[in-house]
Amino acid sequence: MTPSPATTRRAVIAGSLAGLGTASAGCLGRVRNIAGREGSTQMTLDVYTTPADADPHGIRVARHLEEHLRAVGIATRVNTMAEADLYRRVLINQSFDIYIGQFPAHQRIDPDALYPFCHSEFNPEPGWQNPFGITDLTIDDLLEEQRGATPEDRPAVVDDLQREIARQQPFVTVVFPDALTAVQRGRFEGWRRDERVSKPMRLLSLSLSGDDEGASGTGDGETTGDDGSERTEEATAETTTETTAVDGPSADATLRLVTTDPRVAENRNPIAAEYRRDGTYTELLYDSLIRTRGDDRIPWLARDVSWLDEQTVRVSLREATWHDGEPLTAADVAFTYAFLSDTSMGTADAPIPAPRFRGRSTLVTGAEAVDDRTVDVTFADAHPQVGLRALTVPILPEHIWSERTEVAAIAGIEVDEQTTDALVWDNPEPVGSGPLRFVEASPGDRVVFARNDDHFLDRGPEGVPADLRGKPAFDELLLNLVPSDIAAVEHVADRRADATVSNLGPEAVPRIGREADATLVSRQSSAFYHVGFNVRNEPLSNPRFRRAVAGLIDKAHVVDEAFQGYAQPAASPLANADEWLADDLRFDGRDPETPFFGTDGALDVEAAREAFREAGYRYDDEGVLLVREP
Amino acid sequence: MIERYAVLLSVVTYLAISTVSLCLIVGVATIGPGRLYRLRQNALPRIRELKPQIILLVSVLLVSAVARERLQVVSQLYGLYLTGAIFAFEGEFVAWLQATFATPLRTLYFSWVYVYGYVFLLVFPFVAYGVLEESTTLKRLMTAYALNYAIGLVCYTVVYAHGPRNIMPDMVQPLLFTFNPDVLALTSQINENTNVFPSLHTSLSVTVGLFALLTRREYPGWAAIATPLALSVVIATMYLGIHWLVDVIAGIALAVGCVFASYRFISPAAGETTEDTASAVE
Repeated sequence: MTPSPATTRRAVIAGSLAGLGTASAGCLGRVRNIAGREGSTQMTLDVYTTPADADPHGIRVARHLEEHLRAVGIATRVNTMAEADLYRRVLINQSFDIYIGQFPAHQRIDPDALYPFCHSEFNPEPGWQNPFGITDLTIDDLLEEQRGATPEDRPAVVDDLQREIARQQPFVTVVFPDALTAVQRGRFEGWRRDERVSKPMRLLSLSLSGDDEGASGTGDGETTGDDGSERTEEATAETTTETTAVDGPSADATLRLVTTDPRVAENRNPIAAEYRRDGTYTELLYDSLIRTRGDDRIPWLARDVSWLDEQTVRVSLREATWHDGEPLTAADVAFTYAFLSDTSMGTADAPIPAPRFRGRSTLVTGAEAVDDRTVDVTFADAHPQVGLRALTVPILPEHIWSERTEVAAIAGIEVDEQTTDALVWDNPEPVGSGPLRFVEASPGDRVVFARNDDHFLDRGPEGVPADLRGKPAFDELLLNLVPSDIAAVEHVADRRADATVSNLGPEAVPRIGREADATLVSRQSSAFYHVGFNVRNEPLSNPRFRRAVAGLIDKAHVVDEAFQGYAQPAASPLANADEWLADDLRFDGRDPETPFFGTDGALDVEAAREAFREAGYRYDDEGVLLVREP
Repeated sequence: MIERYAVLLSVVTYLAISTVSLCLIVGVATIGPGRLYRLRQNALPRIRELKPQIILLVSVLLVSAVARERLQVVSQLYGLYLTGAIFAFEGEFVAWLQATFATPLRTLYFSWVYVYGYVFLLVFPFVAYGVLEESTTLKRLMTAYALNYAIGLVCYTVVYAHGPRNIMPDMVQPLLFTFNPDVLALTSQINENTNVFPSLHTSLSVTVGLFALLTRREYPGWAAIATPLALSVVIATMYLGIHWLVDVIAGIALAVGCVFASYRFISPAAGETTEDTASAVE
């Protein structure tokens, strides 16, 4: 941005060429040697994140980083853009230096989730597949090894994997935030402190409060405990709810949620990476063969899953129909797996995979319908326990998506051969088979879903936990879009909404405490905040440079300042999965791998600059970090 | 849904009532009840006379209302992403402004000015210039309004930028929204948070302020009210963390340009002298 002294010096040399040149002929060669060299200029980095209205935390992390990047002499620009624009830039167009975002997960992270995130195989693909462009043989090997490893060997491989990722820092794991939610007392029961409210399974298992008045004193059935632990207080509420649900929910049984994320009102395509956060609503619209909750696998569309051999499972399906009345068959399941790995269904020159569910779709080599209700799924070279993850992808209706396999075109002109219609389709009227069906949406305003009375949950199916039978307890889900986290909390406080689902910032949280009708529910989320580097370009292609940048972030300070303590600093993307976290990557007051250059948020500028010098970078006498002129 | 509209309706109703009553009070004080009454018989022929300007202003507003969302998409895809550049240019000026001057009383005042004062500022000139013998001033005012909106819409499409409160959430409190969440319902209904450059609040207020100064011989009282009020709106946009200093400077430049252009485009009809040309002749 600002012309660096080095540039000016070069101009001066060029300007005085004539004078110097004539003064002495012997000097000419020297002048040529100096002026002929490319000069140096200040390094510039562009940081991308969402504005505070969309997410109160990302911008705070960005500003923290920006301040310290400037301090070490790097010209930094923080650019804010709406979620869909940000992720179109980062995930689809890969045109950024640094972005700050959240890992797209609402479940505890299985180590295999890192496979698409960091494997070089996905480098050219759009979506949450290797957005960094890291291509490293060691990481690739470890990612493949953990897939095939036995349960006994896998932890050691996963430890090595985490260490290697931490060493190379294609991204900086910053913090695991608490998923804070304002919940209105007394309308619905089953909100739990230990689980993120917007988890699809959590929303489904909610039950109506027995009576509206007395409920506020009972603590809403919130229980604390570990994921997957037995519910205690809720068990009593269930019996009453089940009868309510079977009789048909009462007239005002509308679950009203508020969010600042406007994307689902514009686009409901389950495979459009830039429009999905973690896919809560598309998971309610579309069923998968199995669902996971904590460590439990719940047979969902699959009535039963049995192993035919080491690599193949036979899945028998429950009776199910699509929201448009068509029957859901094994052919749809077979189609889905083929479609996710190539949305052109073989018509394009090279496969065009769906940008979401890539990790899981690469686990499957084939799916074949045996008869109408039976399908055989064959896994790639992976341990069966890892392979089963592939059964959690949404099943899509063949009769809808098979018409979307052509290469996308605007007014008949193919813009990009790597894009099919399916990837850019807004899916305005989604046809799924899930417990909710889509009713209507108005962009910028709201989305309405209704209970699918034909869903198998309504029939109280076998294999499904008691708290999900006959659910959902509401007959309508209304998602209101609000402009900021503060407005979201106000909605709950004014009894205009039952719960918030988007992130709440430091200004919004104290408000919840002040409102008698609102209560705070929190749980450590898996959607960790990370600083992603585009390692395709200089200088971020240099791991030493990335490690130096990682040392500019005081994660503990970020937790205190940006998250008001509602987060955990972390050094590994698996930090919230205790059984997987490598012991030497535990965040113990300081980052074990890339410790902060300084204390309590105050950067030791000299120490930080020294790190950049050691990485091979030079400074001019005014403290500007220099790079060759492009 | 209904609840949301109910909130919106109550805010709008309150806004309408307070604007009308303010116009009456200030009207009686600065224009005089006699002339104010004349507005009634003046109205119909005036509207006929102002037809081109009314059509211009209404069509600009209609285009803005209909096309805004689509232009927003164009802005997202092809616009210049300038948030980072603006922030790099002016730094933490707005944060400094807030940290230095914010008091609860001032916040209350500037919030009021930003919503109610602004609407009053924009509406009252229609009354004041409507009762004048000549129609030139009102024509110019409406042309200037239309130009402001039209150029503003073009800028919003070309420039994609977020305001200071979105970049410096810790330093810049979103005072307006924190103090009055109902207002949020209103502003979010009409404003995209990426439409910050230039500040239309600034440009329209300064436009009214400039007109008030140019007609100060006719309405010295109005000039005395409008100038500080317009200035307050200008300060409020930054004080409340909604606009950057750059937006405000651009807004002022836009206002000066629009007022100048409206004088160039619209000359007094034959035999008519306007208040300001008369004073210029003296």
